Amino acid sequence: MVKIGIEIHQRLDSSKLFCKCDSRISEEGKPDITVHRRLHPVFSELGEVDAASQAEFSKDRDFEYQVFKEHNCLVEMDEEPPGPMNEDALNIALEVASQLNATPVDEVHIMRKTVIDGSNTSGFQRTSIIAFGGHIDSSKGRIDVPMIAIEEESAGIVSGGEKKAVYRLDRLGIPLIEITTNPDIKDGAHLQEVAEKIGMILRATGKVARGLGTIRQDVNISTEGGARVEIKGAQDLKLLPTLVESEVKRQTELIKIMAELIRRKYVSMEAAPIDASGVFKDTKSQLIMNGLKAGSSVLAQKLPCHKGLLGTEIQPGRRYGTELSDYAKSSGVKGIIHSDEQMDKYQISESEVGELVKALGMKEDDAFIMVVAPKAQAEKAISFAIHRANISSVPEETRRANPDGTSSYMRPLPGKARLYPETDVPPIPITKELLSKIEKSESLDQKSARLGKLLNKEMGARMLKSRNLHLFEVLVESGADPMLVATTLEETVVSLRREGVEFVDLEKSLTELFMEYQKGSFVKAAIPDILKGMAKGARIEAVLKVMRLQRISGDALGKLIADEGYDMKKVMQKLRLQADPQEVADIIKKKKHELEYEKADKGKDFI
Amino acid sequence: MYSKRISDLLEKKKIGVGDRIRLVSADNVFEGLLMPRPYSGDPDIVVIKLDTGYNTGLAAQSIELISKAAPKKEGPDVEEKSKGGDIAILGCGGTIASKIEYKTGAVYPSITPKELRSAFPALGQWPIHSRQIFSLFSEDMNAHHWKLLADEIEREIKDGSTGAVVMHGTDTMTYTSAVISYMFQNLPIPVVLVGSQRSSDRPSSENEMNLLNSVFAATQDVGEVMVCMHATTSDDVCHLHRGTRVRKMHTSARDAFRSIGIRPLFAADYRTKRFDALTEHRKRSKPGELIIRKHVNDNVALIYAHPNLKPSLISKLDDYDGVVLIGSGLGHAAMNAFHDKTVHGIHKPVTELIESGIPVVMSSQCIEGRICMRVYTNGRLLRDAGVIGDGADWTPEAAYAKLCWALGQTKKMDEVRNLMMTDIAGEITPRSVPNEDQV
Repeated sequence: MVKIGIEIHQRLDSSKLFCKCDSRISEEGKPDITVHRRLHPVFSELGEVDAASQAEFSKDRDFEYQVFKEHNCLVEMDEEPPGPMNEDALNIALEVASQLNATPVDEVHIMRKTVIDGSNTSGFQRTSIIAFGGHIDSSKGRIDVPMIAIEEESAGIVSGGEKKAVYRLDRLGIPLIEITTNPDIKDGAHLQEVAEKIGMILRATGKVARGLGTIRQDVNISTEGGARVEIKGAQDLKLLPTLVESEVKRQTELIKIMAELIRRKYVSMEAAPIDASGVFKDTKSQLIMNGLKAGSSVLAQKLPCHKGLLGTEIQPGRRYGTELSDYAKSSGVKGIIHSDEQMDKYQISESEVGELVKALGMKEDDAFIMVVAPKAQAEKAISFAIHRANISSVPEETRRANPDGTSSYMRPLPGKARLYPETDVPPIPITKELLSKIEKSESLDQKSARLGKLLNKEMGARMLKSRNLHLFEVLVESGADPMLVATTLEETVVSLRREGVEFVDLEKSLTELFMEYQKGSFVKAAIPDILKGMAKGARIEAVLKVMRLQRISGDALGKLIADEGYDMKKVMQKLRLQADPQEVADIIKKKKHELEYEKADKGKDFI
Repeated sequence: MYSKRISDLLEKKKIGVGDRIRLVSADNVFEGLLMPRPYSGDPDIVVIKLDTGYNTGLAAQSIELISKAAPKKEGPDVEEKSKGGDIAILGCGGTIASKIEYKTGAVYPSITPKELRSAFPALGQWPIHSRQIFSLFSEDMNAHHWKLLADEIEREIKDGSTGAVVMHGTDTMTYTSAVISYMFQNLPIPVVLVGSQRSSDRPSSENEMNLLNSVFAATQDVGEVMVCMHATTSDDVCHLHRGTRVRKMHTSARDAFRSIGIRPLFAADYRTKRFDALTEHRKRSKPGELIIRKHVNDNVALIYAHPNLKPSLISKLDDYDGVVLIGSGLGHAAMNAFHDKTVHGIHKPVTELIESGIPVVMSSQCIEGRICMRVYTNGRLLRDAGVIGDGADWTPEAAYAKLCWALGQTKKMDEVRNLMMTDIAGEITPRSVPNEDQV
């Protein structure tokens, strides 16, 4: 039995959560100021540090923060206490909570969640529960939403290195709503459905941020006999079924490997690597040669009973050795080499392997791992890998979603010790008065019904799911024909993009396009060409003129139709992009009518 | 504090803070630990720590006890003495070294030597001993605490400590650093006051770097009272400021502490062992050179001369033993030089205070620069009335601490005037040098 839950983080369209900085950021541009900081774990009364914090701390890194004056103040720089919580953001979150049938708490308590990977200048993320006991309906039953929180966005990573990580602060502090479901989700397809539905509910409010990176999904998966893992950063909803499938496979394979290790009588061991640099003094291996030249050491460690297991595939393209390697990477190394790999991949010769096997005193079932890095770091890497090898069950982990649906180890699952009160911000009472003031927007069901009426059932459903929903509403609001807007957004623009057309400002181009269309300046058929012309930011008047796409109508059109002998087919072949077929048909019809009338008249003369 | 209704309910059910409870709110059942009520908010709302770690406030339909919290173990107070040749770390409070109780979120000062070393493992590179003198927010401190601290510093010098680090809240740290500077002249060891602007319950607190740099500075050949704080917003270098010339110039930023009128004494980075002298300083004194004069008089007022200041306020200061004015500009206050009827001058009450034997000292709101009560008529009137300070370039805090100290030495007006105008610890510089940072 697989248990799946999802956590959705959606940025709200409001200023920052604890200061008045603008949240509408471009995540581009050069920083105005650069600040260097270090973080250290905060000790509890028992002198204990949370496992996740300790794992990050062991990396001993410097953090460089890029400050953007337009979007940052001293609050994001951790140089000024936070202001009161942004009321507008809280109201949006409470509105979403009500759409999710949740009950607001009576008092919001702001907590600090320890995060010392550097992604928050303070070393913690501020987060608060705002509602509980919600649910949504799905095709496979009700999904409970036990908790809805509001929290601040972390800083964006620019580069992460062994000794230093660089973050940009422009996005730090943007309000996020966090929606957590119970592990009621049945399978990967169901997960996709639930994620899509929550996404639609969020977008339906029209008060959440739009665009890439404004919504993120973290998936919690646990399998029977396995463990709970949290997979972070799944961007593409279509990938969710693959993500689940890969994780189930990983845990199943790991369980098999654990069983085999027990059968082979593997017992936990201490890391005690040997310095194997001497083995490789005349090596042809580029990797090792370069490392040794740069002053690195080659450390090798015997892994008893692991032969063949390190090479066992546990996810497409990832082996058990990759798991050990992921842990070793926490020390800042690029990875490890293990004995189940093809040694010629690294230009390591058979005799070198032989010498290494001898030096390590390896027996039949044994494997080895090897690291090329500065000695202290290589020692750390080996000890981290051994730490992983010694875990005799599927470990509880936070993992990062890879673009192919597999995942990599990030850090241990955080413990409860990570949360403590943010004493700089007093609790916020959620009064009846405050709740009554929250402006209720349309619910998803109401919106679905309205769109069905405005378009048709099929297009309405499509629009409801679309990322362009907001733009659709804006354009229709300004008076454009709903169906034309829907087909332009969902079909024309999509196919243009497929052709490689990039829009500098789609919203602006479309607003202009439909305004002009209402004036009758061009015909529907010309829309793709006009949009192509406008993609780079050109004004519509210029595009119409240069591309000769102005609509021809009235007497001018009549003349041209006459030139083609009132042949609809011929006229449309020539004037497809400039004449409205209805108008052409009307003119031809009128002419035919006249002709017939004339005929009848002439007949009369004969009489 | 919870409301009477909630308190009574909790008492009836024998539920205390930290106990595991089952609470029903809006027909939902919650389990978690009962938390104390924060100072603000609705005292009828129960704060519960859920198993997710989140605290939340709920209106309770019912509360039941599930289990009592384990009784808290109180460790014995450990006090360490100098073994000779080591550095003393003395705790006065502030949040530089404290720990969080995750259960309640409360922050406790942590100065037991074991905890200090476990919080800052890098302290292990120096021989240290530590103890807590008291634990207060620095704005709650007064002359009584200056005296307690001075006694401990004297004890450390006598016991053979080679340096003293004082962990102190930042708000009034510069009053303390100034007064200690006057009390201990010709110091044989460095005395370094250190604090942090970000509380120690944050992973980003600069307490670690400030503390380690202050201990590093305490190992150097310096015989001064100094304040060790961040030089910039980055965690790279600390500045060591002269105790009489330092001022907190920002409410919250890490680089709030600035030297006024001189450059900081040193730039320090314990990691690279950098300890660069930026201006002249006194070396450790030789045996027998130390002068200790610990008496201070706390009956001194510090008054900001502002528009609309009522002469009657100054008159009411006659039960003080001394007054420091923070004047405007060159050291001015409303003296009504033009005898204008619309002006409420303080000429008369100031003159009366001085005539009754209460010294009045001038400092400036400008912070930077020298008192010159010779330039304008109002200044001359103040000077002629006997206001002390013409030519001094002290900060208001250094002037205040000095008058407290001077009145601890003598009550004779002439002697007070002499002591005030004699530079003891760098509070009056002989010449105003241009500020290199502004050129």
